[in-house]
Amino acid sequence: MTPQDRKDLFKRGAIWAFILVELAFFSIVGDAISVSDKAFMNVDNMLLLLKQSAPIGIIALGMTIIMINGNIDLSVGATFALAAIVLLDSMTWPFMQSLGNWAIPLAWVFALLTGVALGAINGLIVWKTGVDAFIVTLASMLGFRGLVFMYNGEQPTSHLNWTLVDFAEAQFLGLHTATWFLLGTVLILWLVMTKTVHGRNAYAIGNNREAAVNAGIRVGPHFLLNFMLIGFLAALSAVVFYSESGSVNPNDGMLYELWAITAVVLGGTKLAGGYGSIISTLGGVIAIQLLRKGLGHIGADTQTVNLVIGLILIAVLILDRQLNRKGQEELKI
Amino acid sequence: MKMTRKLALACTTAVLGSAAAAETMTIGITQNNVGVDSYQTTYEKAFIAAAEADPNVEVVVLDAGGDVARQIAQMEDLIQQAVDAIIIWPTNGEAVIPAVRKAHQADIPVVVTNSNIAEQGFDFIASFSGPDNITQGSRSAEIMCDKFKDMGIADEARVVQISGQPGYTTAIERAKGFEDRLPEVCPNVTLVETQPGDWNREKSQQVMEAFLVKYDDIDGVYAGDDNMGVGALNAAKAAGREGIIFVGATNFSVGYEAMAEGDYWGSIYQSPVDDAEAALQTAIDVLNGEDVPFLNYFDTPKITQDNMDQFSKPVF
Repeated sequence: MTPQDRKDLFKRGAIWAFILVELAFFSIVGDAISVSDKAFMNVDNMLLLLKQSAPIGIIALGMTIIMINGNIDLSVGATFALAAIVLLDSMTWPFMQSLGNWAIPLAWVFALLTGVALGAINGLIVWKTGVDAFIVTLASMLGFRGLVFMYNGEQPTSHLNWTLVDFAEAQFLGLHTATWFLLGTVLILWLVMTKTVHGRNAYAIGNNREAAVNAGIRVGPHFLLNFMLIGFLAALSAVVFYSESGSVNPNDGMLYELWAITAVVLGGTKLAGGYGSIISTLGGVIAIQLLRKGLGHIGADTQTVNLVIGLILIAVLILDRQLNRKGQEELKI
Repeated sequence: MKMTRKLALACTTAVLGSAAAAETMTIGITQNNVGVDSYQTTYEKAFIAAAEADPNVEVVVLDAGGDVARQIAQMEDLIQQAVDAIIIWPTNGEAVIPAVRKAHQADIPVVVTNSNIAEQGFDFIASFSGPDNITQGSRSAEIMCDKFKDMGIADEARVVQISGQPGYTTAIERAKGFEDRLPEVCPNVTLVETQPGDWNREKSQQVMEAFLVKYDDIDGVYAGDDNMGVGALNAAKAAGREGIIFVGATNFSVGYEAMAEGDYWGSIYQSPVDDAEAALQTAIDVLNGEDVPFLNYFDTPKITQDNMDQFSKPVF
């Protein structure tokens, strides 16, 4: 085992070790001070944990690829809200209502296409103008959110369909519908990133864009594809979540971009690009949801979650820096 | 011997322990967005204080931070923890209905606090605890009518109304309460026109400016809340129109200050402390099997320049 391998193993294992620490902490402390009689490490509770990780999780998985590219997408929260509005509103259109329950899959398609289209806008601008993705998606975050408010003013957009709710609440082999979507996304994206040319190109571009261009990788179309992918995933997240709750507030999904980025960084993906993994991001998402859930379980103030996550994020970044510095020193010798 | 005594001791403590546990009830609350305004912050403090004062009650206090997804997750967590009752301050009156149904299916009674969920969810909740907006509207009408009678203009006064955001239940109910009650107490007062101010002070000021241009004779203004009422007051001040009676609802601190200065006549006092205590009491009553009205309102008294010294200044 080379030192590099050891370092990698340590980095990838860190998030899972952290999850174990959280689990142990909340189980022990929960037993002592929680008002609940149920144990924290209860099978049902852990299944719920996965389900509740889905909305931000699905977005964070897409964000991993964007960040491995060395880009960032701040517009996912607004895309999420806009796709949700299309999902719920389209079911009230007259021709859709005449379709009965067949309107449901059609509404999903509309919502997903909305996400892809919004992602394509981001991708095209990044490709054709060469402006940094941070600025482009900052602008589209504001723009898309503007569209959300134009759609229905300050009012929530609502359509409660019990067939849809029953589907979303269903449990197949013990796992909730949302969990299946989350795990399915993990599997597909993991395959893409580890087994395909597209995945290898993503790392190559993030590592050294110029070298990637010289190697003949078409960076522009590659970015476009990835932005369409994250648009799709933001919409998928909305589809999964709003199938279960038939109403969207115009400010829904705000700050989701930051939670998604937090999960990705917790999972060890580098902000500068070139390094990261889908599985570790799943770990980051679970770690955040576990904190929220656990602090609620032991009766801590909800706002402490933000404080704790902030502190952990800083710790992760310092750790990452230390490891990298050691790596460089070793190279010199 | 020693062993048996120990065992006996353990048994008695166990019995005592379980007896005490049977008495206590665990109530979970998921709030809308604590910290976004001082009404909600005060509400949370009052809720915790009320729960601590009752030795039989344990509470799990959660806050959704305005995020529907988080609120639904919190509902699921409370169901999972098998609390005895759940109090919810909905982030969205429709989005939480499926989560409320889940609690209902798990036989956990749900009390909705402050603002009600949509009617489709009524089958799944035990009670709604909050302000009665229709009564608030009719009380505002009474405040205004009484003042007109004092001034001796009850036979000819003309009133305009600035309502809250269209579509909001609170706005609709307050307007209805006012419009129904005014002709009953002051049949000769005319309501000239109603326009929405969207709960927004600037919007309300513009609406009032338009009213002032349109009508030379305005004796009273009813606003759906004090925030809008103060906006209208500012418009009247800027136009130099005096002697108009302003009545609002949900007494805000700006309204209270304007009343202290003598510019603003009256409002409806809605205390977050009463709101929180009513919600907890409703949940306790439901758990004790008492008959609780489906719409369980707490009292929101009238406040005018005459009796404002009996009320502390609102914190929001």
